[in-house]
Amino acid sequence: MQPTVYRRLLAALSQCFAIAALTTLAAAAHAQSAGVAPEAKQLLKASTDFLASQQRFTADTRNTLEIVLKTGQKIEFNSTGRQSIQRPNRLRAERTGDLVEQVFIYDGKSLTLSNPQEKFYAQVAAPGTLEDMLDFARTKLDVVAPAGDLVYKNAYDILMDGVTEGIVVGKAVIEGVLCDHLAFRAPQTDWQIWIQQGAQPLPRKLVITTLDLPNAPQFAITVTKWNLHPTFDAKTFTFTPQAGAKQIDFLPR
Amino acid sequence: MTSIPRAKAFVFTIALPLLYLAGVSPDAPAVLTLVPEAHAVVGAPLTPVSAAGVARRTTRRVVVAESSATQASAATTATAQQQAATAQQQSVTAQQQSATAQQQSATAQQQAAATRPAGAPAVGAVVATLPAGCKPETRSGVEYQNCGGVLYRAAFQGNNLVYVVQ
Repeated sequence: MQPTVYRRLLAALSQCFAIAALTTLAAAAHAQSAGVAPEAKQLLKASTDFLASQQRFTADTRNTLEIVLKTGQKIEFNSTGRQSIQRPNRLRAERTGDLVEQVFIYDGKSLTLSNPQEKFYAQVAAPGTLEDMLDFARTKLDVVAPAGDLVYKNAYDILMDGVTEGIVVGKAVIEGVLCDHLAFRAPQTDWQIWIQQGAQPLPRKLVITTLDLPNAPQFAITVTKWNLHPTFDAKTFTFTPQAGAKQIDFLPR
Repeated sequence: MTSIPRAKAFVFTIALPLLYLAGVSPDAPAVLTLVPEAHAVVGAPLTPVSAAGVARRTTRRVVVAESSATQASAATTATAQQQAATAQQQSVTAQQQSATAQQQSATAQQQAAATRPAGAPAVGAVVATLPAGCKPETRSGVEYQNCGGVLYRAAFQGNNLVYVVQ
C-alpha cells in the first residue's frame, strides 16, 4: 500500500471514529444534562439506607490513591484496609500500604490515631456518635477516614450534596459480584459507585475524581469483602499502646 | 533514629529536594520520599478521599518534606513556609507559642534555644522527614529527635506523622 493511500485511509478511519465518538458523547451529554436520573437516585438511596440499617459490619478494602507531581506525572499509592463498625459509636479502621501503617480507633469517648511502625499515637476526647466523631475528626483535626462518607447514617444527603448530574451507566461485575454502576457529577468532583444487585445493595466500589486539581487524580476504594455478622471482642475498639509506644499531639488546625 | 523503622531510615538517607505535600489525604505521608530525585521539586496535590469532603474542604495544609540535612537550609524552609496556607501559619504560630511555653518552663529547653546552630530551620517549621543523623533525646519527659543540635518533636498533622522544629 502506498504510504499516502495508507495515510488517507487512516485519516478517513479516524474521522469515522471521531464522529462516532462525538455522537456517543453528545448523546451522553444530553442524557446527563437532564440532571440526576431517578433510577440513579433510587439505587443510591437503597444502598445508603441498607448500610445505615446495619448495626455491625466489617469491610475489607483495597485502595488506590493518585498523586499528581508538579511535572504532571501521576503516581499511584496502594493500600489495603479493614473498617469495623458498630453503631452508634464504635469504629476501628486499619490501613496498611506503601510505607503507611495506621490504626484509627474510636471507642465512643475518645479517638486514637496510631502508627504502629513508628510507635507513635495520639489520642483526644471525641463526640459521642460516629457521625459527630467523623465531623470532629475532619474539621478539627484534619483526620479523614477514607470513604467515611459511606458510614454516615445520612450518607445519601452527604453524597448528593451539590450533585448536578447522575446516571446509571449499566451493569458491571466487581470482585465477581454483579453490580449497578452509577456515575455522578458535582462542581469539584465526578464520582462513581458500584452497588451490589439483589437483597443486599452494598457499595462494592467507589471512585472519586478530583476535578479541581491538575490531571484530575482519582481515589478508588474497592470492597473485597463485606461481613454483616462480624464477631468483635473487647480489643476491637479499645486502644492499648504497644510496648515503647509514645504519645504525641495532633497539631492544631 | 531508633524510633524510625529501617525501611524509612533508608529512605531518609536518599538525597531528595523539597517536597510539598498539600492537602488532606490520609494516604500521603512520607511515602513521597520514594519519588526519585529526578522528579525534584515535587508539587503533589493530594486527592481527596471523600466525595463530600471535597465540597467541604476548606483549607489545604502544607508539609515541607526536606530530605537531607545538607540541602535543608533555613532559607529554603522559610521560603517554603511563606508559601504555606493560612491554616499552616496558624498552626505554626500555635506551635511557636507552645514552644515558647516549653522554653519558659524548661531550662534545658532555653539552653537549647540559645545554642541553636547557625542556619537551623525556623522554630515551628513542620517537616515530613527528619534530616540524617538524629538521636532521640528526652527532656522533661518528652522525646525529641536531636538532629545536629536542632530538636524535632513528632506530631500528627491530620493523618500524617510530621516533625516540628523546636
